[in-house]
Amino acid sequence: MRIIDLALKDLSQVFRDKRSLLFLVAMPIAFTFFMGFAYKSGSDNDASKDTRIPLGWVNNDGNGYVSTQLFEMLSNSDSVRLVELTSDTVDESIRTGEVAGALIVPTGYNKQVSAGNEAPLTLVTDTNSTNGQSLYQILRTSVTKLMSAVEITHLSAETIGKPNDASELNEAFASASQAWSQADSASLVKVEMVVESAPAENWYGDNPYNQASPGILVQFAIMGLVSSGQILVQERKTRTLQRLMSTTMRSWEIVAGHMLAMFGIVFTQIALLVVFGQLALGVNYMNAPLGTLLVSVALSLWIAAMGLLIGTVVKDDSQVILFALMAMFIFSALGGTWFPLEVASGTFAAIGKVMPSAWAMTGYQNILMRGLGLESAWMPTGILLAYAFVFFALAIWRFNKMDV
Amino acid sequence: MSYAIEVKNLKKSFGNLQAVQDASFTADAGEVLSLLGPNGAGKSTTISMLSGLLAPTGGDASIMGHSVVSEPESAKKSLGVVPQDIALYPDLSARENLIFWGKMYGLRGATLKQRVDEVLEIIGLVDRQKDHVDKFSGGMKRRVNIGAALLHKPDVIIMDEPTVGIDPQSRRHILDNVKALNRQGMTVLYTTHYMEEAAELSDHIAIMDKGRIIAYGTHDELIKLVGRETRIDITINAEGGRVLEAWRSTEGVARIDALDGTLTALVDDSNRVLPRLFDAASKVGVRITSVDIQEPNLETVFLHLTGRALRD
Repeated sequence: MRIIDLALKDLSQVFRDKRSLLFLVAMPIAFTFFMGFAYKSGSDNDASKDTRIPLGWVNNDGNGYVSTQLFEMLSNSDSVRLVELTSDTVDESIRTGEVAGALIVPTGYNKQVSAGNEAPLTLVTDTNSTNGQSLYQILRTSVTKLMSAVEITHLSAETIGKPNDASELNEAFASASQAWSQADSASLVKVEMVVESAPAENWYGDNPYNQASPGILVQFAIMGLVSSGQILVQERKTRTLQRLMSTTMRSWEIVAGHMLAMFGIVFTQIALLVVFGQLALGVNYMNAPLGTLLVSVALSLWIAAMGLLIGTVVKDDSQVILFALMAMFIFSALGGTWFPLEVASGTFAAIGKVMPSAWAMTGYQNILMRGLGLESAWMPTGILLAYAFVFFALAIWRFNKMDV
Repeated sequence: MSYAIEVKNLKKSFGNLQAVQDASFTADAGEVLSLLGPNGAGKSTTISMLSGLLAPTGGDASIMGHSVVSEPESAKKSLGVVPQDIALYPDLSARENLIFWGKMYGLRGATLKQRVDEVLEIIGLVDRQKDHVDKFSGGMKRRVNIGAALLHKPDVIIMDEPTVGIDPQSRRHILDNVKALNRQGMTVLYTTHYMEEAAELSDHIAIMDKGRIIAYGTHDELIKLVGRETRIDITINAEGGRVLEAWRSTEGVARIDALDGTLTALVDDSNRVLPRLFDAASKVGVRITSVDIQEPNLETVFLHLTGRALRD
């Protein structure tokens, strides 16, 4: 209970300061607009360009009916642009960025499908890239439609001998529906990740705020380290920490109370920016609301814990600001908040991928750019929570060694 | 016998610096014990160890029978601490501060409200309870600082120089509060470098210097340490060196030191010795410009024991 009392006291102090509201909400919103505008301006110059995702087409099965149907379906797609390739040129074309992936129709595909057997297509792409993820989703949908059409054709052929028998037609429909629901769409397209692709130009998808909104959100959440670190510094400065430690509160309770307050502040900031992004900028955080919530909670906990660790290391406010700014620039730049790590060089991206901020961005971008669901948020959430735990443990360790 | 406060061979070192060396003293329940000593004597370090803020390097101390080393939480439950610095949230009101600290001491609901009201009465700030602490004078802040330590009605209260840097009116208020709390049965450990406060408040006084307890007893017991010696502060019109040797050999002078440009002598009978000092000064061509005679007091005791003034 005293942990909550301590947290509520901190919150009341922070929210009394009007400047903190400006810092927590107004500035990140302004920066989101600025960054989104900057990304958009960059792409406006290429407005006449075909922005569909380039997909390589390798047909090893001649001109069968099913593969022809699939080719036509994809050729007419608003999402992908087909580029005909041979098996030999697939890897190179993906590496150079000519295509984001390649769909390979295997030998005997039409025969197997016509016989009602399972025959997966192969998608070769970089599964870590936004376009790779998107291609997989697009092809799953397209191939599922195609396969269901084939299934219905089979069923219709079986019942065609009795065209006026309503009960037989109903039975055919029922069977078709069942076949639809039982179809494992994931097995229809097999993904192979054999090359690392060149960066796509429209890495933020169809909305520049898909990058700007979570990027600024994570960056300004990291700026919360300033408030978080200053809490302990102020407690030391006003000697209230000394008084707190003369009560029966344990060290971990004091750290936890302050951390709870910081969590509340950072989470409130994130929640406001998520709502703003969703309603005003069309950034679809609600694609996976629970996933967004999980990533936001874990991100807030990590930042609160790290801020308190900074508070136990530094001596005064100026050092807090210095440490927080360093952390913000390092974690923001390396964590992919300004641009996705996929467009960065290999070493930069490799370092960036171990940053907690990068995992926060991955969590949000899985939902926003890759259209993935709750399951995509588990790993980023788990890793952020692990970071939060480590920083919290370090904060308690340092707190116990601190000269009050 | 169980004491409210018992300190046994307490030690604290910071690297090579021995801040507290084998300090031992006791305080019975319901008494005021003053820890008197100049700045840097080790008083604050001692009470930091009693409050659980610093771990002793050696020895032990107990509050109401609970060791601060092995049972720190039990010891803290019986303890209220008034730090030397103002330990309050400046952007919260006096009442908000007291409510917060009451909660930290485990008070809730009606009990908390009642105690906050009572404490505001005790510290005389009922009318200003809604004002932010940063709008208060130094004395008013000190009173809230004390009030925050009284909320949970501790058996023992430790006050670390609570009257430093405040106006005479607030100082008087605080000293009266200490007496009132003591009358209610609270044991008070009061650290100060003002001998008048120690003399006025204390049942026992422990004099501390350079990390050691150099004397302990009641006010009268400590005065007896210097016997009938009277302190005479003398200023002269010349360098002290010439006359100092002459006065040291004068009959009736127990000791004489130069302190802050004043020559301070401890003599056994000022009426008899003073004419001899004038004679000795005349003989070396020095003129005495002022003389201040003080009956034996705690300052004299400290001077007698250390050769230095309390304010040094």
